Amino acid sequence: MGRGAPHPKMKAGRDVAHIILRDLDIPDIWKFDVYVENGGYEGLKKAVTLTPDEVIEVVKASGLRGRGGAGFPTGVKWSFIPKDAETTYVAVNADESEPGTFKDRQIMEGNPHQLIEGALICAYAIRARAVYIYCRGEFWDLTHALDARIEEARAAGFIGENILGSGWSCEVYTHLGAGAYICGEESALLNSLQGLLGQPRVRPPFPAQKGGGLYYEPTVVNNVETLTNVPWIMVNGADAYRQFGTEQSPGVKVFCVSGHVNRPGNYELPLGTTFRELIYEHAGGILDDKGLKGVLTAGASAPILPGSAEVLDTPLTYEDVQKVGSSLGSASVIVLDEDTDMVWAALKMVRFFKHESCGKCTPCREGTFWMERVLSRIHRGEATEGDIDLLDEVAAQIKGKCLCALGEFALNPAAATIAHFRDDYARRVSGVPESTAELETQAPIEAPVAAGD
Amino acid sequence: MSETVTIYLDDRAIEAPKGMNLVDACKLHGVDIPVFCYHPKMEPVGMCRMCLIELGFEQRDRTTGEVVLGEDGKPLVRWFPTLQTACTQVVSEGMHVRTTTEAVRRGRKDIIEFILTSHPLDCPVCDKGGECPLQELTMDFGPGKSRFLYDEKIHLAKRYPLGEQIYLDRERCIQCARCIRYVEEITDDPVLQFYERGRRLQIISTSEPGFDSKFSGNTTDICPVGALTTADFRFGARPWELDSAASICTHCPVGCNLTLNTRLDRDAGGRVIIKRVMPRQNEQVNEIWICDKGRFGHHFTAAPDRITTPLVRKGGKLVEATWSEALELVAGMLKSAGKAVGALAGPTLSNEDLWALRRLVEGQRGARLGVWPPTMTGGDLIAEVGVAQGTNFTDMGKGACIVVVASDLEEEAPIYWHRVKVAADRGATLVVVNGRATKLDRYTRHRVRYHYGDEVATLNGLLRQALGDAAPDIDGFDQLRAALENAPAVDAAAAQAIAGATDLVVIVGGEGLSMAAHGALMQAAANLLVATGHVGRPNNGLLAVWPGANTQGALDMGFTPEDATHIIDNAASFEALIIAGADPADEDPRAAAALQEAGFIVATALFLTPTAELADVVLPRMSFAERDGTFTNGERRVQRFCKAIDRVGESRADWQIFQQVGAALGQGRAMPTPGVVMAQIVERVPWYAGMDYPTLAEVAPQFPMVGGEDLYYGGTMYKNAGGLGRQWAVAAEQASYQARVRVPKAPAAPKPGKGELIVVPVRLLYDQGTEFYKTQLVHRRVPQAYVALNAGDAARLSVREGARVRVRLAGTEVEVAARVRASVPEGVALLPLNLGVGPLPHAASVGTVAVAEAVGA
Repeated sequence: MGRGAPHPKMKAGRDVAHIILRDLDIPDIWKFDVYVENGGYEGLKKAVTLTPDEVIEVVKASGLRGRGGAGFPTGVKWSFIPKDAETTYVAVNADESEPGTFKDRQIMEGNPHQLIEGALICAYAIRARAVYIYCRGEFWDLTHALDARIEEARAAGFIGENILGSGWSCEVYTHLGAGAYICGEESALLNSLQGLLGQPRVRPPFPAQKGGGLYYEPTVVNNVETLTNVPWIMVNGADAYRQFGTEQSPGVKVFCVSGHVNRPGNYELPLGTTFRELIYEHAGGILDDKGLKGVLTAGASAPILPGSAEVLDTPLTYEDVQKVGSSLGSASVIVLDEDTDMVWAALKMVRFFKHESCGKCTPCREGTFWMERVLSRIHRGEATEGDIDLLDEVAAQIKGKCLCALGEFALNPAAATIAHFRDDYARRVSGVPESTAELETQAPIEAPVAAGD
Repeated sequence: MSETVTIYLDDRAIEAPKGMNLVDACKLHGVDIPVFCYHPKMEPVGMCRMCLIELGFEQRDRTTGEVVLGEDGKPLVRWFPTLQTACTQVVSEGMHVRTTTEAVRRGRKDIIEFILTSHPLDCPVCDKGGECPLQELTMDFGPGKSRFLYDEKIHLAKRYPLGEQIYLDRERCIQCARCIRYVEEITDDPVLQFYERGRRLQIISTSEPGFDSKFSGNTTDICPVGALTTADFRFGARPWELDSAASICTHCPVGCNLTLNTRLDRDAGGRVIIKRVMPRQNEQVNEIWICDKGRFGHHFTAAPDRITTPLVRKGGKLVEATWSEALELVAGMLKSAGKAVGALAGPTLSNEDLWALRRLVEGQRGARLGVWPPTMTGGDLIAEVGVAQGTNFTDMGKGACIVVVASDLEEEAPIYWHRVKVAADRGATLVVVNGRATKLDRYTRHRVRYHYGDEVATLNGLLRQALGDAAPDIDGFDQLRAALENAPAVDAAAAQAIAGATDLVVIVGGEGLSMAAHGALMQAAANLLVATGHVGRPNNGLLAVWPGANTQGALDMGFTPEDATHIIDNAASFEALIIAGADPADEDPRAAAALQEAGFIVATALFLTPTAELADVVLPRMSFAERDGTFTNGERRVQRFCKAIDRVGESRADWQIFQQVGAALGQGRAMPTPGVVMAQIVERVPWYAGMDYPTLAEVAPQFPMVGGEDLYYGGTMYKNAGGLGRQWAVAAEQASYQARVRVPKAPAAPKPGKGELIVVPVRLLYDQGTEFYKTQLVHRRVPQAYVALNAGDAARLSVREGARVRVRLAGTEVEVAARVRASVPEGVALLPLNLGVGPLPHAASVGTVAVAEAVGA
């Protein structure tokens, strides 16, 4: 995956300076010395001169929202930690596993100290004595590198006992997952960190509450990108951060663009940038100048949007994307050109969710399995017109009944493609139009997986 | 009554205990919210999503906190936009719940349809068919027709052994995790796990042997589908073919209530046999659980080697005889024996049997009534300060303190262990006093270790520390105080836990103790309770882990371990001995020789045991399953058990046998039924006043409501219609009670010399007990005979793991395999009883362990 180059025409008066992807501006900023020379750990130094509550107020005032997908106001989340809690934790969600999302990887590779600094500021704000960075299993090499960065920060006194003379002590640990999408869900992540099966927990209690967090103690779970914003906000102030973005979606966001575009990659832009600008200016437009058929805004999770003028002119903010029927999520924008078969696309995504469903709750476990069966049949050209409605009904039947968001997201690929691209389905019902051998080779019936007769 | 809140259930205001789970609150008010994963004995997990309801809360003004009223004057309710799971809610004031709306009906139908997509449609051959919650809820809420194509179902293993006792059908499993949660949360045997994910999510066992839990069978009860079945019953019968009889387990003193399921069986030659044993709900005794010994250990009733006719000794050999021949012979011999007659009553004699036996012996003016085995004593102390009526482990939590002394509770009385452990989970303080580590240690910080032989001194020390300077005005306290002066300081924290408890129960086992030492320990335990004021109230008092299912009943009927010891010690002075359902020759090294000295021996037995082989007349007795009667459990609850199967051969109930002999001796007419015998007991034994059979068969509503036609919750398939029994009141509960303590007289502790060890015989749940070992299924769980040593001692004695060693103790020598275990204290060798190496002493004694010489060496 290529890196998005810094674009000369940043909005809101910004020309080059990135907040998150500073590796694009400053070579070798991953190195501790380079990071410190460029203002690194100043945010932490400032934070410890404030009270924890004052730090939370700054983050609240910045309007920073969770970049993992849910968009929950970060400062508010931190403020939920009970003030009298004896033990609290910070868990950093680096399980980046949404299809089409690759921003956290670039941050951890290119600007890791800023993540560590952000996590430490969060830990200070909630008086946590330990930070756990939960990395997806495939990030093993990156995680080993991150361990080295943590050691550098410890050697400099930013991690360990009595940090910067504040009397507050904190450790930072990394932890590798074992390859499950569900472990990006915050409560499943906590279970996995504890060595338990990666399945989500019933909420309430929420992670910030006693009984709901890591080892059942109040815990803040934040995405990598979210925390990476924090040092900049501490140094420059909430108002400076609010120069970017909109009232409800302040600041900058790393947009991961992939699919049928000329220049796929990560683009750090102010929230409020339109789809049109992102796709056609920054990402260089559609491959071979084809037409745009649809856009996935948040990987496989949010409903696909048709490539209409209305959608293209929609600003990429939490509120505006919701208005056109999808959600910004982690802003993993997958662009699909006019030749894309949406049944094929839906099947790929449904298969993904079926594979990644943890199986804990019935509608997700059985629903994703059922959708995959019906969609495979449609894709193979063996379905009837009624099967399209059946697929739509099964998707609707999952809705609102699941234990966590995975199940609720899992119905989107089928439901939204039927809503916007029913013709693609109708064509399949009357026969298989093109070769799709890659998907068809997968056996429809699964063999018993363990011994016994 | 605890605090209640008002919630609105389908627009009807109801009161529910604050903090109660919403599903349970609705059930109490007659509204069934369908569930699969939720079970009131376990924490909710919200997995199956079957319990979807509409949920709302009354709106409150943010500033005033007042309920906001609508135009119609009714509170405004803010409803959740989506259906919510009821099982993850606890009731709170102003909660509104709708369970009958179209959305709810639709939601239930949707979930059922999802669950059935890949669930096999093998109900016609499924063990659960007919008693299956999934079947039931499908009939109630499911769609009539599946839209899922049959050919697209997932296929998984149908016959997967989690262990040799429990089989998993992976296609039937609906991933509710009840089994995993039961062994994790409740029994703390975390040997089941989920494996894989999504539609391949499935149960595996992570232990060797597979599903290594003493409570594994309970998971087959709470499984809401036919996924888990026991090897014992799998494909054994259809539920509707089964008859059921209320019964009581005979394997230990807990007295678990059972349902015996029976059926005419082709494989048993067309006889009615027990096909399955299930727990019968009694929330005071075993709740809805039983251990695997109780569940699987019923096969002795149908064993082919049961004695079926009377046997009399002719020409030195036991030969078949008629009942009249045998009874006449017995009556004649008793008559000529005159007063020199004694009786030994075994652990599974019913109260009626015991009473009839007592009348027979006393009718001949005999005076010695022994209870077998005579390993524990102190019935008088139980009658004085036993746990008071209404004591229930389920009610023990924060503030309660449970002291367990000299017992490996999980091995000796598994359901006591189960309930004590769960009480500890609820916050009860546990003090475990033992000479070695046991599994119960996991649930407490207060692990008090003693050297074997110092049991009494240890309890004395705890009492001295718990009392501090307090000097309660109790009869005998001054003498006791003087005796306590020399008691060692034991564990200040444990003593403080005892001193600070609001409720205190002391559970006393008999590990390593002689009868006399046990008597002293019981006294020390009674002192602890009396001196700290913990007697005469529910959830306070003394509980003994008796060696037999009806040891308490035998004590109540006037039988004593002291008499049993006297009979063995003076066997030659008895011209006639009646040994009823007991096997001293197999259990006590002295007994085999002693019984040779006795005169005429008549034995009632199920099998031709070593004791029966010594007898002059052997009479076939009925097992518990073939007759009616009552047992009195360790908590002094008198409980009825009922006939489930026809008698084997010509066997008779012990009470009938003794009355028939009595009648032949002119002692009076035989009573026609055990109920009439009970009426006699009630007249003569004051503790049993009012306990006629109808009273003992009374039932009362219990929670959770399991076993009904609605199959709600699951957990056991039958309602308890056989009675909850009655617990008799101890002296401390009477207004006239005078508290008193006495100085316990402990025998000297064994002092090993150089090269010697203290050999401690211990009880295992899975042993080669004559009755239990008839169940083939459990043989793999019964270890080869062994002795367990500490690594240091093993090294000193050059004993390696698995080596054959000779163990000598108290004049007995056995050859067993050595085990080297870190959990065994230094200087101690643990020698399990009943593993097929012949009779062993039951008290700890000085002994040796040495590598056995190889044959020919």
